[in-house]
Amino acid sequence: MTSIPLEYYLIVAAALFLVGTVGFLLRRNLLVLLMSIELMLNSVNLTLVAYNRVHTESHAGQIFTFFVIAIAAAEAAVGLAIVLAFFRVRKTVRSDEADLLRN
Amino acid sequence: MEALKSQFPAANFSLLAVVLLLPLLGAFVNGIFGKRLGKQGVRLMALSAIGGSFLASLLTFLMLPRGEAAEEGGHLAWNAWHWFTITGKMQQAIPIDVSFAIDGLNATMMLVVTGVGFLIHLYSSEYMWKDEGYHRFFAYLNLFCFSMLVLIMADNLALLFVGWEGVGMCSYLLIGFWFGETKNASAGRKAFIVNRIGDFGLLVAMSMLVYYLGTLRFSSIDLAATNLSVPVKIWPIGNLSADTLPSFVAAVILPKEPVMVYASTLVGLALFLGCAGKSAQLPLYIWLPDAMAGPTPVSALIHAATMVTAGVYLVARMGAVFILSPAAMATVAVVGAATALFAASIGLFQHDLKKVLAYSTVSQLGFMFIGVGMGAFASGFFHVFTHAFFKACLFLGAGSVIHAMHVRIHDTDKSQDMRNMGGLRKYLPITHATFLISCLSIAGVPPLAGFWSKDEILWKAFSNEIAAPRTVNGLVPWAWPTWLGVAIYWVGIVAATMTAFYMFRAYFLTFHGDFKGWTIVRGWTDPHAGHGHDDHHDAPHDDVKGDGPEPHESPLAMTIPLMVLAAFALLAGFLNAELIHVAPLGHLLEGVFKADEVAVHERAAAHGKEMMMLVPGILAFVAGIGAAAYVYLQNKGAQETAFAKSFPRLYKLIYDKWRIDELYEATVIGMVDALADIFQMADTWIVDGILAKLSAAIVGAAGTVLRAFQTGKVQAYSASMVIGLAGVGWFLVRPHAVTSIDDTKLKQTGEVVVSAAPGFGYSYNWAGPGLAPTSDFSATREITIPLQPGDKKDVVLQVKNAFNGVDTQTITVARPGKKAAAPTPGANPMDDLAPGGKVVIPGDKIPDLLRGLHQ
Amino acid sequence: MKSMDVVELVFFAVATFFVLGGGVFTVAARNPIRSAMGLLTSIVGVAGMYLLLSAEFLAAIQILVYAGAVVILFIFVIMLLGPSAMSERDTKTAISRYLAAGVFLASAGTALVLLARMAGAATKFAPAPAGFGHIEAIGHELFTGDLTPFELSGALLLVAVVGAVAVARGKQIDPTLHPQAPDAGPNALPKESAK
Repeated sequence: MTSIPLEYYLIVAAALFLVGTVGFLLRRNLLVLLMSIELMLNSVNLTLVAYNRVHTESHAGQIFTFFVIAIAAAEAAVGLAIVLAFFRVRKTVRSDEADLLRN
Repeated sequence: MEALKSQFPAANFSLLAVVLLLPLLGAFVNGIFGKRLGKQGVRLMALSAIGGSFLASLLTFLMLPRGEAAEEGGHLAWNAWHWFTITGKMQQAIPIDVSFAIDGLNATMMLVVTGVGFLIHLYSSEYMWKDEGYHRFFAYLNLFCFSMLVLIMADNLALLFVGWEGVGMCSYLLIGFWFGETKNASAGRKAFIVNRIGDFGLLVAMSMLVYYLGTLRFSSIDLAATNLSVPVKIWPIGNLSADTLPSFVAAVILPKEPVMVYASTLVGLALFLGCAGKSAQLPLYIWLPDAMAGPTPVSALIHAATMVTAGVYLVARMGAVFILSPAAMATVAVVGAATALFAASIGLFQHDLKKVLAYSTVSQLGFMFIGVGMGAFASGFFHVFTHAFFKACLFLGAGSVIHAMHVRIHDTDKSQDMRNMGGLRKYLPITHATFLISCLSIAGVPPLAGFWSKDEILWKAFSNEIAAPRTVNGLVPWAWPTWLGVAIYWVGIVAATMTAFYMFRAYFLTFHGDFKGWTIVRGWTDPHAGHGHDDHHDAPHDDVKGDGPEPHESPLAMTIPLMVLAAFALLAGFLNAELIHVAPLGHLLEGVFKADEVAVHERAAAHGKEMMMLVPGILAFVAGIGAAAYVYLQNKGAQETAFAKSFPRLYKLIYDKWRIDELYEATVIGMVDALADIFQMADTWIVDGILAKLSAAIVGAAGTVLRAFQTGKVQAYSASMVIGLAGVGWFLVRPHAVTSIDDTKLKQTGEVVVSAAPGFGYSYNWAGPGLAPTSDFSATREITIPLQPGDKKDVVLQVKNAFNGVDTQTITVARPGKKAAAPTPGANPMDDLAPGGKVVIPGDKIPDLLRGLHQ
Repeated sequence: MKSMDVVELVFFAVATFFVLGGGVFTVAARNPIRSAMGLLTSIVGVAGMYLLLSAEFLAAIQILVYAGAVVILFIFVIMLLGPSAMSERDTKTAISRYLAAGVFLASAGTALVLLARMAGAATKFAPAPAGFGHIEAIGHELFTGDLTPFELSGALLLVAVVGAVAVARGKQIDPTLHPQAPDAGPNALPKESAK
């Protein structure tokens, strides 16, 4: 399993990050925003694991990924709870309705 | 006693901590937890704090060194901690410690402060019972006792000043205790501000003592005081001279000879300014009568018995300084005499009972200053001692009368007006008896306390003479004319006559004749019950001529202090009755004032006239009391009315206190007001108008612009973040050729090292003279270039990054100098600046300057 | 080209298709259920790439945690919200966001081009040492050197669970505490809605 070079993975990760970011910027559905964040986190994880495959003397990259997954799970749980709370107040999940901070 | 002596050695007498900290603890507990403690708890806390302090003071007094040890200046000392160090004019370190020293003088003061303080606490625990600020009152009162104790126990001026300011603050707080009324609040402010003027004098005196003597400790000042006998030029000040001034100005303001005075005179006068402020002497006495706005026990404790005598105490304490300057002594004595007479004259026609007592206090303080000013420190201090008892008793008696009047009259002014009293003798028997004893005492009837102390002072004024100190540098010290003492004596006699007159006027008006407050109806009950004493609302039922119950005697907690104080007013004189040679207090104070009284002599002309000069004193009170009895007991004040009729303007002038307040209003205060108006205009137009509004406008405009970006939408914020991130990414993707030049080795080897900044995936290509030309990029980050003086070389650096981007940079390195010529030391490095480039000035002490010109 | 390499390349291609296709589907779908399915696809693709990178343990974790927990959570919430989970089509213009997306697309595209230009410097992997990416080796490192962050992440998860429950439950009115409270149920919505 050595025929695919590192850069391929990096390019896939960059593309996935791109997709996630564009989704985060353009969509207004809070649920989709959270999913976009998950996509971005996944792309970063992929980069970490790929680089770890270059430096095989330790598992620092994989362990970091492990923690990122844990934090992503926590973030998803809290984020969805916030979406629910927001929905109770505003009866919608559109992000541009969350404008109480404005002025 | 022996066990106590070993527990508290004289050099480390830590019992003083108990004396000091108990009132502080009381103030803390009552101030912080008072509301939750309840009134009983507050009363217990306050009384036990000051009572414990009194017991500790008593123990301290008993443990004072006696006999020979006292004559040698033995005392009890306790150094709490080192406070700070200042540097004297000889660069010597002057330690200022929080330390206390107790000798006969301040041990007696401690007893007075804690003892009279305890009685007044006890009295007020009843008097203030219905007041809402009960705990606040006792917190202040305890804090006052603490500050007063610091003031009198301090062994140096700096610590004394702490206490001095502390009592000033407590006085301010207590005068304005009922701050709900503007009159009281402004009376507190007035006291504070007038005291400020005096404090300025005290601070100046402290600075001069540090400068001339290098110490603030009283014991050291006593030893070193003669160093103050140096002439000081006070005019022209600074560098004012015929050279620096226009000639016509110089002709007017510059005297032929510079004006010189002794430093001791300056220090003495500055100290006396402080004392005059605190002890209400001319011209700073104006705050004390107004201070009667506070609760009556406060007037008794602070504005009669203790705080106002701090000035007398300070003069006595600093006797060693005053004695060096007959001029300062004379000032003290003359001001004292003038105040005694002036205040007594105002007291003649006041209607407010407390005002009469206030002016009497000012007048008596004048007597004390006559004493200390004439070099009779012990006598002056003895009057402080006796005055504390009879004046506290008088004030508390007045409080008891007001307490009785409050049954029906709730307005402060009306309840204190003697025209509403009269005939109270039969309703308030204890108050009447104690008030009478104190009146007799203050009038100077033998053998009561006031007689001994007042006549002692007057005799000393008549007989004492201050020896002029030796002449230094040809400046002849001011000499004390013989007639001055005699004049002060006669002024004192006149003032004493007036004192007797107005005190008995007050006594007769209050306790004799018919009651004029209201029509007494037995069994009358107040339909509006539930008012506290000294409550100040003009209740609509204050119909002075209406019906009311019998005035009632005060409860036991108020009459016990009266009786104790009256007993002292009766008997305390025998502690220092020099005439009949019974003077334990005098012996106690001998050691303290021994050194100071060396310069004080008895005039030869006065020798043996002691008994003869007693006669005017006795005549004074006989005349005063007799006149008062004739006018107010016999004729019900007919003569006063007649006087007011025939000299209405004079009567009004005296009644209006000679309109001194109005004079100050017109001069000093008017000036300050005008100044304040100017500053206010500057504030309105410049600070508010230009500075504040302009800057607000600028900030507001910036805010308007920036507000547009604050949409409150998280996604918009993240969008701007992404744009910034893209910028950072672009910077990272581009290669950047940046160099730094290290020339620290230039002097030794004639070489400089040029290195390129590292970067991710960077490779480098160098080109220049002396380098092999190559087109390959390598990992070589540094090159070394040899340079001779006067050389100038161009080096080209190319940097390529991982994305094959290339950046190019040309560096010019040069070494100044003319072919091995030595560089000129101190030459301006900018002189041989190579044209058209940024300068890199390398290293710091390198004479050969090197420039890297980035092109 | 060895046959093994061909298999790998095909596997990689399929995984890439899953990852990017799933990602685009996630972002583009109007119905959030479809988005969740896209996310699931993308996550499975990433797990496949982990396998290719000799990270077997992480691949398992990825499937378990992401596919098994996170995506299911999303689906639960979507079902809880019902039809209102679907947001209507955007009508408002948001220039700043399109601008940001454009800038980001441009710069990311440039970065991709630059990466592609590095083909000459392509980094080939050396064969992985025995046990690399296995649960034993990772567990050893995790419980020795990285024990503190591991414990901290445990605490974080606990806090997140409590926080999520607290936030999602909203303000509750305990009827036993306020017997005369209005008849609104325990999960009553606040009366005033901003609309």
